[in-house]
Amino acid sequence: MSDKLQQIIKKQNLRDNNQENVNDVVQLVGFVIGDEEYAVPILSIQEIIKPFPWTRVPQVPKYVVGVFNMRGAVIPLIDLRLKFGLNQKKHNEETRFIVMRDGDDVAGFVIDRLTMAIRIKKSNIGPAPDTASGDDTSIDGVGKQEDRIITILKVKKLLQRDF
Amino acid sequence: MDEFQEILQDFLVESFELIEQLDQDLVELETRPDDLELLNRIFRVAHTVKGASSFLNFDVLTHLTHHMEDVLNKARHGELVILPAIMDVILESIDLMKALLTTIRDTSADDGIDVSGCVSRLDKCSKGYGEDEVLKSTPAPKEEIKVEEPKEEEIVNVDNSNEPDYDNMDADELEAEIERLLQQRQAEDKEKREQRASNDSAKASNENDAEDEYVPAMKSPVVVTPARKPASFGDDSDSSDEARAASPAKKQSNVEQTIRVDVKRLDHLMNLIGELVLAKNRLIKINDDVEERYEGESFLEELNQVVSIVSIVTTDLQIAVMKTRMLPIGKVFNKFPRMIRDLSRELNKKIELEIFGEETELDKSIVEEIGDPLVHIIRNSCDHGIEIPKIRAEQGKSETGTIKLKAYNEGNQIVIQIDDDGKGLDVDMLKRKSLEKGLITEKEADNMSDKEAFALIFKPGFSTAAVVTNVSGRGVGMDVVKTNIEKVNGIIDIDSEIGIGTSMKLKIPLTLAIIQALLVGVQEEHYAIPLASVLETVRISKDEVYTVEGRSVMRLREDVLSLVHIGDIFEVERVLDSSEYAYVVVLGLGASKLGLIVDTLVGQEEIVIKSLGEFLKGIDGIAGATIRGDGGVTLIVDVVAIMDMAKHVKASAIVDSTSDAAMLTYEKTKASDYTVMIVDDSKTDRTIMRKALEPLGVTLVEAGDGQEALGILKQGDYNFDAMLVDIEMPRMDGYSLATEIKKYNRYKNLPLIAVTSRTGKSDRMRGVESGMVEYITKPYSADYLMSVVQRNINFRSEFLK
Repeated sequence: MSDKLQQIIKKQNLRDNNQENVNDVVQLVGFVIGDEEYAVPILSIQEIIKPFPWTRVPQVPKYVVGVFNMRGAVIPLIDLRLKFGLNQKKHNEETRFIVMRDGDDVAGFVIDRLTMAIRIKKSNIGPAPDTASGDDTSIDGVGKQEDRIITILKVKKLLQRDF
Repeated sequence: MDEFQEILQDFLVESFELIEQLDQDLVELETRPDDLELLNRIFRVAHTVKGASSFLNFDVLTHLTHHMEDVLNKARHGELVILPAIMDVILESIDLMKALLTTIRDTSADDGIDVSGCVSRLDKCSKGYGEDEVLKSTPAPKEEIKVEEPKEEEIVNVDNSNEPDYDNMDADELEAEIERLLQQRQAEDKEKREQRASNDSAKASNENDAEDEYVPAMKSPVVVTPARKPASFGDDSDSSDEARAASPAKKQSNVEQTIRVDVKRLDHLMNLIGELVLAKNRLIKINDDVEERYEGESFLEELNQVVSIVSIVTTDLQIAVMKTRMLPIGKVFNKFPRMIRDLSRELNKKIELEIFGEETELDKSIVEEIGDPLVHIIRNSCDHGIEIPKIRAEQGKSETGTIKLKAYNEGNQIVIQIDDDGKGLDVDMLKRKSLEKGLITEKEADNMSDKEAFALIFKPGFSTAAVVTNVSGRGVGMDVVKTNIEKVNGIIDIDSEIGIGTSMKLKIPLTLAIIQALLVGVQEEHYAIPLASVLETVRISKDEVYTVEGRSVMRLREDVLSLVHIGDIFEVERVLDSSEYAYVVVLGLGASKLGLIVDTLVGQEEIVIKSLGEFLKGIDGIAGATIRGDGGVTLIVDVVAIMDMAKHVKASAIVDSTSDAAMLTYEKTKASDYTVMIVDDSKTDRTIMRKALEPLGVTLVEAGDGQEALGILKQGDYNFDAMLVDIEMPRMDGYSLATEIKKYNRYKNLPLIAVTSRTGKSDRMRGVESGMVEYITKPYSADYLMSVVQRNINFRSEFLK
């Protein structure tokens, strides 16, 4: 009797652990800007599209390249290269617009190229470096995977107007 | 419609909705008497109705619902179990409530139904009396409801006087009292019923008359009268009968022929229509393209028909949906009679308000937006405009001042006009005050027209009142007026004459979502300007623009118009060579005017305003965006902001800047620094040219047609030194390509070499006209081609290996 009970309890524990494992993994989409690899949570991405024409908007910082029409909605387009202080680069075959959403805020981001969908354990994600922490940073954390380091970005922060 | 009636309507619509839900809930409650959520919901209905009815002075209804509330409150606190007997009483009370509401709907008063029996039973329930007693007395009142439907004024009087006692009365006393009342009532009822029968026939015949009377009543000026009270309790039965006869005809149709729709649904519908309008615009554009390409084909006519039908239906649909969002402006006007009455008391002035055109309809969102500005304007007129009776009499005016509030349609706009016959605006005084407060400079004051001076009252911080009163004089109000009206794309026009009065016109677009716009081009960009603010467009040549103190101006008939280039406001990069002519869009906003210089006028289009979203909101000069027929986004100009920005913009774009027109030339250090583009639709021809030029070692870029070539140029990845252009090409031929290229400042001096099999003289002429520097006819020798290219790109021979 007690053996059986023990077994059941064991089983339950095992299941709990499994569940924890599922919760422990973060799914991200990785992309490259300049030489660095970045990632954002997969659920914050509305869609990824190839570049198409946009309209310039005056009186805004340079990294806000303009607005574009996504199926009837007018959405701002932000060049992450410029935002991160890199110089401008011509769009090429690998350039993509990533449309991210956080609540009602939506914006398209120009990235150099996509890498892959990443599953990463929460335990492998470290905090943002001290020099770039606090409320001002758009870095959520740093993910470690075998041989590389991925900077995980705060979508909320990226979608926040800062001018 | 007067204010009270309006509130009453809302109350009735809401109450009936609540009760409908209530019936379902009560039935459910019987099966699940412990459901707290359900009980709470029922309690809230009773509570809501009680609150509203007490506000509207429906004492009987309030009384009833108050006791219902008691019972339900106990039930939801678990102090009372809902037994079937108690449920019966509750249901009965709800039936009574319904009967009362119906009576109110028909007569605007809640008299005529006796609720005391039910109330006492409710009391018993809440005090926890035995259910037997409750049960015993239930059947009787059910009859009562039917019997007592006819209204009875006298009884209500008795009812009212007795009301406060009910709470203190013992249950038995109460029963006795009720019994007495009932007997008294029933005797009188008989009489009344007979009387009523005759009324009914009268009512039927009155119905048509009532409708007819109703309409003119709205159009005629409404003189300030206190809000109508609910049908009085007086015994003046004749007049109340008349009112009763007239009101059902009007109100019943109102209640039954409207559906309340959530504004969100309407907004959604409006959004969908917006999408449809965009699709329509796109369809029209495609139709134009197809027409051009397949000119003369028979299917075109059919396509044209379909497109025009779709276009017409879309426009009609849009108007129809817009109308569903329309509210009569009377909704806003209604609060003013009362306000004027109070104000005239407070200010010791005699003021009369006349309202015209309150049936004029406006979009709901605008109606909500204009309430405040109107309050400010009217308060202002009362306080500063209308003089006190003594002064008016001295000036030979009637002691009573008049404020006229008018609303009417004018084209695509609604005009709201506020006229007063007060002292008028004193231009000199306005200027002096503004100077004192440092709102304007001396020079500005001197150059100011009267209209501009009137507009000073809208400056923040401006007030002409010597003392700050309760009513106005804080210098905030009129500023709010301006901001709010501009928010809905409206403009304000003031006219005033000293001693005669002031007239203010608010011109407001019918709707906010879809507007007519003028599309203009500047360089390669397009902007949409709301047509409502465009007064006219003028084509001017460069030498008509004068510069005065660093600002551009032009002469427009009698006036001097200050100019600003749209490119300067929106920081447009100047890549195209400006042509000799430009267009001036004359923008008008109230009294002020501004000439906006644009490169081209594209045309008029119906556009759907889209917000730029949270991220980009509040950009100076941009009111929003719209999606065009080709799927691109065009920004909408914020005329108000532009007017303001124009003051700080330095004129630069108008000055011809030929200096930077020269192509950027880089130091060439090797042969491959030279870049030549080959444009030809034939792969073979391109290869022949490539082979001929390869020995030079220059970089070669190929394009298959004019469009592709232009695309490569625009991208600016290369610095081209020359182009070899075929004439016969699909999509864009060599001539058009040359013309397009020459528009760009940057490529003005780029040598274009035509390579073609066309040998006719006229072909050569066209080549020269379009800006080709050389004309090579096929076939040609490789050496010849090489030498022509070498000559045109200033190839340095030392690079030759």
